[in-house]
Amino acid sequence: MDNFLEKLAYCIENGKINKTSPYPPNMKDQDGADELAKKALEVGIKPDEILENALIPAMANVGNRFSKKEIYVPQMLMAAKAMNSAMMHLKPFFQSGETKRKGKFIIGTVSGDLHDIGKNLVAMMIEGGGWEVIDLGVDVGAEKFLKAIDEHPDAIVGLSALLTTTMENMKKIVTAIKEKHSTSKILVGGAPVTMEYCEKIGADFYSPDPQGAVNYLKQLVSLRKN
Amino acid sequence: MTSSTFQFDFKDLKINSSRIETVLGYKEGEDRELVSGLIEEILTESKEISNIKAQYAIFHGVLFDNDTKSVEINNSSFHIKKIVFGQIKKSDSVAIFLCTAGEEIGIRSRKAMQERDLLKGYIYDVIGSEIVEAAADLMQAELEKSMLGSGKKITNRYSPGYCGWDVAEQHKLFQLIPDNFCRIRLTESALMDPVKSVSGIIGIGKDVKSNPYTCRICDLKDCIYRRAKEKKA
Repeated sequence: MDNFLEKLAYCIENGKINKTSPYPPNMKDQDGADELAKKALEVGIKPDEILENALIPAMANVGNRFSKKEIYVPQMLMAAKAMNSAMMHLKPFFQSGETKRKGKFIIGTVSGDLHDIGKNLVAMMIEGGGWEVIDLGVDVGAEKFLKAIDEHPDAIVGLSALLTTTMENMKKIVTAIKEKHSTSKILVGGAPVTMEYCEKIGADFYSPDPQGAVNYLKQLVSLRKN
Repeated sequence: MTSSTFQFDFKDLKINSSRIETVLGYKEGEDRELVSGLIEEILTESKEISNIKAQYAIFHGVLFDNDTKSVEINNSSFHIKKIVFGQIKKSDSVAIFLCTAGEEIGIRSRKAMQERDLLKGYIYDVIGSEIVEAAADLMQAELEKSMLGSGKKITNRYSPGYCGWDVAEQHKLFQLIPDNFCRIRLTESALMDPVKSVSGIIGIGKDVKSNPYTCRICDLKDCIYRRAKEKKA
């Protein structure tokens, strides 16, 4: 049983999506994350176990290696794609409630900013961490964030910005969220953002890389449990 | 005011796989099998789909205000902030420029992202950025060449949205450009469409200089271009 999960984790970490995908070349014609997740369910491994013992640790390793600059954005994106192909098999169990996610995470690039690569990376890493991600897209203003929080009041919120000047909009959105939902936790990120700026605008957390965001969410879950 | 327009061919830009791999972070000798095929494929496509245009307009008699760190061009005041002001304040005229890779590469990047092929979307995005930056380099070289006769030099190029210069000032910048040869539209929040476009200012004068390594003055410490250049240096 462990062998299945170990193989699945290995495929995710190395970006092996399915049997026909050519990458990585040393795994040519072998099962990928897609087939292994399907087979794991068929042999009776619970979706919870697949999530906890394969997908989450694999994506955590990918995130940590990226933080240490051992891998680059392309490898991380391939790993995310492999993770996604395995996750597709778990989705019915999330929908039926048989498998619980760790929580909900709302994410968007702030108004005035159309950059979405960083935001997408964070969204995929957080999804790989076992969270349901509600992606609001790019150029998202305070109203859209507030509406999403109204619909999902327990969700953690993530704001992304790439331009120094759209960081100002980040500040306006944080203020609007905190005014209406004072207990909502807000993460901020993006190339020009710093911890100092995060504190200045009243956000709760800043991470320079996606794995930092995943780790912060993990901490919040343990705090909520205690 | 004088204006010049350019239409570049993709091959003029001399963009190859190795340049893209460096921007993606790969070091010499590292395995790049994951991306090399995709880069080649998108570079080949780019030859067909790019519509690379540039334009600059030169304005004389510009006024610099040290107190407000602003410059007045053709009765329009630009608050370019400390970093850009410091780099161009000795100019006696300025060039306002626009440059675009065309819209198709941005469309294909977004489409791939929406289809959750993030790697392909990302590589389209990086190649689109390289195209527009390489085209802006060519336009800048043309401007520099045209100044040689009068013994003038030029600064690096600087864009709204960076170094603290408010991106909203792009609206005023666009009003200075005659005809908008590049056909770039601005959103209400001052972002450009096509997305793979740049606009900005270049200082011109006898006492100005270009800085070979501008990343050092920028406040984006973790930008992929900065990391790539630092790795090379």
